[in-house]
Amino acid sequence: MVRRTSRAAEDADDLTHVPLQAILLADSFATKFRPITLERPKVLLPLVGIPMIDYSLEWLESAGVEEVFVFCCAHSKQVIQHLAKSQWLKNPDMAVTTIESHNSISAGDAMRVIYERNVIHGDFVLVTGDTVSNMSLAEALQEHKDRRKKDSNAVMTMVVKKSKPSPITHQSRLGTDELFVAINPDTKQLLSYEDNANPIDKSLLSDNSSISLRNNMQDCYIDICAPEVLSLFTDNFDYQHLRRDFLKGLLVDEITDYKIYTHEIHSSYAAKVENFRSYDTISKDIIHRWTYPLVPDVQYFGSSAVKLGRQGVYSASDIGLSSNAQIGPFTLIGKGTSVGSNSKVSNSIIGEGCKIGSNVSIEGSHIWNNVTIEDGCKLKHAILCDGVVMKARAVLEPGVILSFKVVIGKDFVVPAYSKVSLYEQPIFQDSDEELEYADSSNGMAEISSISASTGMPDGELVSRAAEASEVGADGAGYIWSVFEGREEEWRHSVAPISEDKLAELLQAADDVLDVPHVENHQHSEELVAPSIDPENLTDDNIDEFEKEVEATFQRAVQENIKDDNVVLEVNSLRLSYNMAAADCAGALFYSVMKLAVETPHSSISELLHNVTRLIRKWAKLLKYYLSSIDEEIEVILKFEEMCTESTKELSPLFTKVLQFLYEDVDLIQEEAILSWESEKMGADEVDRVFLKQAEPFIQWLKTAQEEDSEEEE
Amino acid sequence: MPDVQALVNDFVNKLRKRKIEGSQATARHTAEFLRSVISQQRIPYTNQAGALIDSVKAVGEQLIAANPVELAVGNVVRRVLHIIREEDLSLTTAAIGDLNISDGSDDDENDRDDRPVLSAAALAAAARKTLRPPSLHTLLEDVPNATIVPLSSSGGDSEGKCKSADKSSRIRKLKHDVIEAVNELIQDIDTCHEQIAEQAVEHIHQNEVILTLGRSRTVMEFLCAAKEKKRSFRVFVAEGAPRYQGHVLAKELVARGLQTTVITDSAVFAMISRVNMVIVGAHAIMANGGLIAPVGLNMVALAAQRHAVPFVVVAGSHKLCPLYPHNPEVLLNELKSPSDLLDFGEFSDCLDFGSGNGEPQLHVVNPTFDYVPPNLVSLFITDTGGHNPSYMYRLIADYYSADDLVLQRKSAAGN
Amino acid sequence: MWYRSPSFILDNQEQEKFLLRQQLDQQNDDVLNPPPPPSMSEISIQNPNPNISAYYQTRAAHHAVVTSDWLAQAQAAVSGGVTGEDTVEKVEEDDRVVEKGESVIEEFNSWRKQPDLAEAVAAIRALASVIRSSKATTMMELEIELKKASDSLKSWDATSISLTAACDLFMRYVTRTSALEYEDFNSARSRLMERAEKFGEISYKARRIISMLSQDFIFDGCTILVHGFSRVVLEVLKTAAQNKKSFRVFCTEGRPDRTGLRFSNEMAKLDVPVKLLIDSAVAYSMDEVDMVFVGADGVVESGGIINMMGTYQIALVAHSLNKPVYVAAESYKFARLYPLDQKDMAPALRPIDFGVPVPSKVEIEKSARDYTPPQYLTLLFTDLGVLTPSVVSDELIQLYL
Repeated sequence: MVRRTSRAAEDADDLTHVPLQAILLADSFATKFRPITLERPKVLLPLVGIPMIDYSLEWLESAGVEEVFVFCCAHSKQVIQHLAKSQWLKNPDMAVTTIESHNSISAGDAMRVIYERNVIHGDFVLVTGDTVSNMSLAEALQEHKDRRKKDSNAVMTMVVKKSKPSPITHQSRLGTDELFVAINPDTKQLLSYEDNANPIDKSLLSDNSSISLRNNMQDCYIDICAPEVLSLFTDNFDYQHLRRDFLKGLLVDEITDYKIYTHEIHSSYAAKVENFRSYDTISKDIIHRWTYPLVPDVQYFGSSAVKLGRQGVYSASDIGLSSNAQIGPFTLIGKGTSVGSNSKVSNSIIGEGCKIGSNVSIEGSHIWNNVTIEDGCKLKHAILCDGVVMKARAVLEPGVILSFKVVIGKDFVVPAYSKVSLYEQPIFQDSDEELEYADSSNGMAEISSISASTGMPDGELVSRAAEASEVGADGAGYIWSVFEGREEEWRHSVAPISEDKLAELLQAADDVLDVPHVENHQHSEELVAPSIDPENLTDDNIDEFEKEVEATFQRAVQENIKDDNVVLEVNSLRLSYNMAAADCAGALFYSVMKLAVETPHSSISELLHNVTRLIRKWAKLLKYYLSSIDEEIEVILKFEEMCTESTKELSPLFTKVLQFLYEDVDLIQEEAILSWESEKMGADEVDRVFLKQAEPFIQWLKTAQEEDSEEEE
Repeated sequence: MPDVQALVNDFVNKLRKRKIEGSQATARHTAEFLRSVISQQRIPYTNQAGALIDSVKAVGEQLIAANPVELAVGNVVRRVLHIIREEDLSLTTAAIGDLNISDGSDDDENDRDDRPVLSAAALAAAARKTLRPPSLHTLLEDVPNATIVPLSSSGGDSEGKCKSADKSSRIRKLKHDVIEAVNELIQDIDTCHEQIAEQAVEHIHQNEVILTLGRSRTVMEFLCAAKEKKRSFRVFVAEGAPRYQGHVLAKELVARGLQTTVITDSAVFAMISRVNMVIVGAHAIMANGGLIAPVGLNMVALAAQRHAVPFVVVAGSHKLCPLYPHNPEVLLNELKSPSDLLDFGEFSDCLDFGSGNGEPQLHVVNPTFDYVPPNLVSLFITDTGGHNPSYMYRLIADYYSADDLVLQRKSAAGN
Repeated sequence: MWYRSPSFILDNQEQEKFLLRQQLDQQNDDVLNPPPPPSMSEISIQNPNPNISAYYQTRAAHHAVVTSDWLAQAQAAVSGGVTGEDTVEKVEEDDRVVEKGESVIEEFNSWRKQPDLAEAVAAIRALASVIRSSKATTMMELEIELKKASDSLKSWDATSISLTAACDLFMRYVTRTSALEYEDFNSARSRLMERAEKFGEISYKARRIISMLSQDFIFDGCTILVHGFSRVVLEVLKTAAQNKKSFRVFCTEGRPDRTGLRFSNEMAKLDVPVKLLIDSAVAYSMDEVDMVFVGADGVVESGGIINMMGTYQIALVAHSLNKPVYVAAESYKFARLYPLDQKDMAPALRPIDFGVPVPSKVEIEKSARDYTPPQYLTLLFTDLGVLTPSVVSDELIQLYL
């Protein structure tokens, strides 16, 4: 209390003082930690024995944050309970308030909920509850504030950290993809943020006198935001993901001109637990003391005392080590844990109250509390949640996750990368990782339904589990099948990546980076991106791009936006998705046609009328993108695709529309149609349906051309 | 006492989170904090000193556990306990004097029957003894719980005999005296630099070359005091990797007009033959005269010994720790973040847990302290003067009472 | 009973066994016909066996479980080597009748026989019995009487340091506890008695304190070299084992009485990994050792210790390899001695069995103890706390100044 008043007095002269606030998202809106997160929220999972959220909160407190809003969604009760139990809610130096919401499915939703609460009054720190850091915010905050004074559009400062620009380090350290960012080296403004090595648009180079392209950056997921950020989320209700939607959205948004800056940290540590691999890596970074003072032997968390011995062995009190147990380097042994004779433990974290038998070998594993491991078991790079029992001589191959209270039967060998839980795997799966955030809505609902059922008596649970013999005769638990589309389980697993996979990765990286090796801080014209190879673009990207363009177009129609502005917006989208002009044309044309189809009509002729009307209306816009034959061909191809796939209604009109485009609005020239035809000639019968339909028209064109040439002669 | 508990938690948190840095600041804060604990402590009518001691001990235990590496915390806690005992004793002896006078008039027969062998003089003798560490004297003398006798009897006796007004004034007096004494302690901690610096002229002579490592405020003031007394001498500053506090010291010395040479830590041995004296600061002085000091000093001490250069340690008496170092390299050390040594980004590929067998080939160890054994130290200069390492136990016996060592032992056993 | 082990029995030759039987017979005779109790003056001259120090006998007695058995063996060895000697103290030991005017030495010896009782405790108990039976009416008289008794005790066995130290300590206490502090002579006397009675407790407590103090110094995974059989060191390691510390013990063999064998036996009982070394393998294995733990027969004014033969050697080796040497000793072993060199103290002799007959021309070094100067000791664990050697002299000066 004394502190508070004194602080208030200090700040009396600074009348504009607003307490430094932070938003902590205690929900990852992801499913990477399944099946563990079915029973416990990710932020409460122990990282070197301490729930992740405690690291984040401790750091915020020590960084001088005065008010934190903890946003909880899935398992919100557990989070709130934890906060109450660990005294966070009564912390005199930092007010911790929880905000509960059960229908938020993404970070974007969370931001919108918080905006509605109207609790953020100034600049705030936006982090997730799985951030581990020891950085001092003061400098970054000051930078941010200074920038804000000069330019109110500098809404966000993003913390980045240098990491070695090796093509595989991102993958093998944190299990994330490589990150390419373009930063203005003078102002530190962030210009581009890409997950893959897609080239940077030329316009970036033309707009900025100097630009530094970096592939040696690690995003720490710590953002210092202006209050406008919240309203931005509300304005753009489709923003879901902080990086994928919001950040990129701002970067390409040329209208509002909001700017994002970066702050690079050097000596301090910051990282986010995103998947099992980063969980493992960050745990080890903590053990290796990079996060000092957030290390086990400094009693930051008021937990039981842990002593650090030589060779990085951390041991708590009351541990029963048999005299010939070998405790290897960089290991933590929690309170009340016993290790039997001839057992070997190395590079592992063992929680409290575990019983480890003799002749057990544990390597690089994370063992939580009250785990029983009977004699002769072998573990390598596994995660064992609370209450797991491993019967005698069971073996875990690398990368295994055993969720709460799983029992592995005698002599059973759990195959590599298996995930075992007492709960059965939900039937539906979000197959596409890209859509994970959207899909997690279902995931969340399902999780909460399951968490509601966790209240069932243990007996029932056990009896249910007893039937499951997937994990040995006397075991309990279901082995979750590996998701489709995620066969690359090794990427995010706790187990190290095997040599051949590493070699593969390196090879792949080399292929992608066939382009001149991108040096740090190199900003010259030779960095000009190689020409775009459409083959290289994934379909997802195109789809998403098309959706964006369509949305833009619809807005334009509804709000009567001028063509010029639409062009601007489409251009910015094109930059962010790295699309060619042809793609824009295709997408725009698609949007126009779709609008036409969606306009109420009763007959084909009416539809045709709609189409012609709309094309006429937006001809100018379309024309803007149809500057070359390539683009025109793209439009025809697009149209053909529409007729075959999405909007079959249009198929009878194909030739008519084509003709219309050629004759009436002069959007497509005959060369384009002819080269389309010659391209299609070699195609399958199926693909030539429309070619046939357009046959007479093309024929006519050809003759007309001949006549023309004759006339000229 | 919710207020006291809140205060304690607050302070414990600060210590835990290493928010207070440096032994002097820690010592000062601890003393001030204990003063407020004492002043807020409500004192019962009987056994006041015991109550005070208990509460300070309880608080002290928490503080020590919060940052076991910062020995100054424990030192100050023990100093305060010693102060309470001393003040109580002086009051008790005074009270017993009164008691004896009143004995003549009062009906003292009952009293005598109860305690036939414990005359006032014996009581005083017993009380005197409690402040001293156990010794051969006391071996045969009284039962082990001798300490309880004077404390409880002082309360008990006086309650029986004294008037109530008298009593309350005594209570106030004890508290008042203790707080006075703690204030003195705080003042001592504050002025220790000056007191040490006063002795500088006796040790630094004209045209000498002094070597130091890292930065210690005590050393800085010591050197500057000699400079102010018109001594001209040169200072070699070893930079003190990895924190390079030596650079800061060099800047400060140059600002005061001292001839300064900065050398790398590894050049110490090469330079030592030209040095007349090594003067360094310390993190803590242990009871055996050993030294917990910034990392690198053991090497300097060995170099100094090789060339018979006096190795002088300047440290305030709050750094005097009544404990013996056991396994000091490990237990009394703090390993800081490796980022002081290496840039994480530059080395992140060496810290790759995802490849190979999952353990990185690169380990970085960044210890804060070194242990310098007593035989390498030539002289300690504290605020009370210069002392030989083997004399340290004597100072400790003056500053601390033996009963309070247990405090640490308990918490150590608890760990 | 290690000494009943085959190897030990092998070591003891047939001839000795024969002698032993003879000796026992003789003893029995003695018991049957007890000689008249000798007067005080007689005892002080007559008693100590010049070839085997009484001190050594006590040690032997304490370390063996069956006292008379072991003593007889030792005696037999001596009588085999030198000349036959009657063992008067045996008689005294068995003669437990406490009579008026009975000698302090008999009392001492009777106490001494208890295996867990330290010699100093026996001495103080003996002195207490003097007080009990004393007819003195003033403090001064009592003091003189006690002084006489303690002098006779001390001269009876000049080689036992803790005996001497305990006598000195008690005398010092008596002089300090003057009648001035107590109301009358009787209360002072009863107080003295009470303290003396409690001394055994103090001695036991001292061991507990020492073992508590030294716990911090035994860290997990350390290797401790132990020389000789010290009850304090045993207590220290016992406590460490109870505290679930993992450590390893090296025991020297401790020729000729093989105390190390016994110690290793005790360690094995505690499930502590233990390794036996012959005495000459100390330097060879010192690099593996983290600390040396020894007890002490006496701690002298310089801060050095007098302990079983070989301690000095081990301390020298440890010092040269920079290993700490810790001494565990109760404070009543602090003695007013200042040995200047190894020979500057009363030698405690003991028999040495070389297994083969040694020609009479060959001289044998029979001394059982050596003196380790303070510079080779790191710390002393005493019930007064952990002390550096220099503190010891300070303590002694304070007491006897």
